[in-house]
Amino acid sequence: MIRMANLIAIFALASSAAHAQQDSVAIGKKLTTNNCAVCHTFGKGEPNGQGPNLFGIVGKPMASEPGFKYSAGMKASASGKVWDDKLLDAWLTDTQAVAPGNAMTYFEGDEARRQKIIAYLRTLH
Amino acid sequence: MSETNKLSAASRRSFIKAAGAGTAAAAFGAVSLTARAASDVKFDAEYDVVVCGGGGGGLPCALFSRWLGNRVVILEKAGSVGGTAAKAAFWYWVPNNEPMRRAGIADPKPDYMRYVARLSRPEQYDPSLPKLGLSDWEYEMCEAIYDSASPAAELLASKGALPYRHEGAVPDYWAELPEDKAPRGRVLFPKDGLPSMSDGGRVAIRTMSAAARRDGIDIKTGYRVQKVLVDETGAVIGVESLTEEGTLFRVRAKKAVIFATGGFTHDPELRKNFLHGAVYGGCAAPTNEGDFVRISSALDVQLRNMNYSWMAPISLDKAIAKDGSLSGIFTPTGDSMLYVNKYGKRVVNEKLAYNEVCAAFSEWDGAKGEYPNLTLVSIWDQQAQEHCASDDYGSLIVPKGSNDRHVLRGNTLAELAGAIRERMAKYQSALGSATLSDDFVRSLDATIKRFNGFAKTGVDQDFHRGERIVEKLFNGPVSKKADQKNETMYPLSAKGPYYAALIVAGNLDTKGGPKTNSHGQVLDTRGEPIKGLYGVGNCVASASARAYWAGGGTLGPIIAFAYRAAQSANGGQS
Repeated sequence: MIRMANLIAIFALASSAAHAQQDSVAIGKKLTTNNCAVCHTFGKGEPNGQGPNLFGIVGKPMASEPGFKYSAGMKASASGKVWDDKLLDAWLTDTQAVAPGNAMTYFEGDEARRQKIIAYLRTLH
Repeated sequence: MSETNKLSAASRRSFIKAAGAGTAAAAFGAVSLTARAASDVKFDAEYDVVVCGGGGGGLPCALFSRWLGNRVVILEKAGSVGGTAAKAAFWYWVPNNEPMRRAGIADPKPDYMRYVARLSRPEQYDPSLPKLGLSDWEYEMCEAIYDSASPAAELLASKGALPYRHEGAVPDYWAELPEDKAPRGRVLFPKDGLPSMSDGGRVAIRTMSAAARRDGIDIKTGYRVQKVLVDETGAVIGVESLTEEGTLFRVRAKKAVIFATGGFTHDPELRKNFLHGAVYGGCAAPTNEGDFVRISSALDVQLRNMNYSWMAPISLDKAIAKDGSLSGIFTPTGDSMLYVNKYGKRVVNEKLAYNEVCAAFSEWDGAKGEYPNLTLVSIWDQQAQEHCASDDYGSLIVPKGSNDRHVLRGNTLAELAGAIRERMAKYQSALGSATLSDDFVRSLDATIKRFNGFAKTGVDQDFHRGERIVEKLFNGPVSKKADQKNETMYPLSAKGPYYAALIVAGNLDTKGGPKTNSHGQVLDTRGEPIKGLYGVGNCVASASARAYWAGGGTLGPIIAFAYRAAQSANGGQS
């Protein structure tokens, strides 16, 4: 009986953890839409907007979306860089600090918001 | 999101005229507070000046206010600063600007006033009258632009917030009018923008937001202001905003709340009820949903100029897809290109300035009971595709590899017409089931033959395409042919392939809202300023009425009024 109760508790925990993860992705999606969708698309094969399509961004080399014309500032800072969590966090903190003079002006001082956006970007693959 | 979480029971009872207070989080309006309630409200922060909106109007308002020594916060609804201006070319039209004065280019105020009066109120214009036929308000607002745009531009530049270069060759949109005594020289442009002058907005938002952060302005993004808080004397003392996380954030404003939240381009209900004809959205920031019209409706304001907007043709496909790359079609590229309506007829000079071309869309056929030009079709041939493609200024002819969701193709005109019919059918609910007429192909063929004749002689006897100075400014790239007499026209080939795109009326943004005085103070129905409440830019009434005087005729006035509002809010008027 006790074992059974434990098992149920574990299931309950697992399921609430899954819920929490879903919630965090949901708020991440909302934040990403509010923050990024004016210029970016997220679906596979969707056209570039003011900024490049972001499908599969995590793990890609910086400034590597085919068919997108990157600014001189972006190209000058991109060499050897890959979009990992750390670079994305620095980018969202202040795009101009990472690639001075690039076309995107964005800064978010709230780390929790940045992490939620990055969590959502990670789901795009 | 209930008020009960935030306010004590006593102060809750004291909300006397709560427009939506305590109900849905997204309700807009004003909350009038008794003296007791006002002292009880828990504010999350306090500043001298609260600027709502961080775009081309809000950033200058915040900067000017900060430079006067105020503590300033920007509350921006979107996740990022920039608003509509970030996507704009950001030319700014500054009459009698410093580089003109240095170069000895005369731009006397009386002539400037005649130019703007003639275009804004052509139905009232009378140069023999002291105010030229303008109302007192219109006259004062237009004067303010002349007086303050240049000092505003110079201050922004000298503080490093918006260094500019003088684009002395750019003509006004009616450079030929006898009233225009300074037809070139009024346009300034962000210094580090591209030579094509298409990316000024990105540069300006970058430099102005960098200066704002450098100089200690707090910028909060993802904060949607939804209510103004009004004390018992009727003065605005703060705002309530909703964060992206769904929490409320109240800010006290010790001196002023300045709205610079943009127009109502992306609110279909307001568009339908205030604008003339069908407008399908536009390149305004998607957050421009008329928030200030709704918020100020709870106050005794006077809505003015709601019937006009800064217009530009837009791609129907991109408007419906809410495509982030949507731009106004500022450059109707292509020489072997023409626009026809669903009857296959040309109805407009394709190279008119964007705001002017839009008058064609809303033409009403009272006999047939329809808008014959609700959607126009741009048609071009392979020559134009090869030589006139561009990624700038909303060109419909785009280079290979660019976003071309709007482009239709046919090897023959009949095949092209089939593709157009199919695309119109896809959007039938947006087009009132309009489709091409049965004789479209025959009619189009005749239209092309007639156009080709004009192109050969260089004279468009129907619409005079390419005869005015501004039309050459917007012609876009062409490959000049030896036999070409008019650079804006070339005969369409008798052989396919042909290309087409559907275009409809759109906005850069609207330009109506509460009436302010020339110091940006929002006026009540008696014409008195509402203490502490200011508005700048497309969220308030423009005195330009229908006119789009020149490139930058949007942003030049905006920085002028930002400058004046900041001074007035600080207790001194310019």
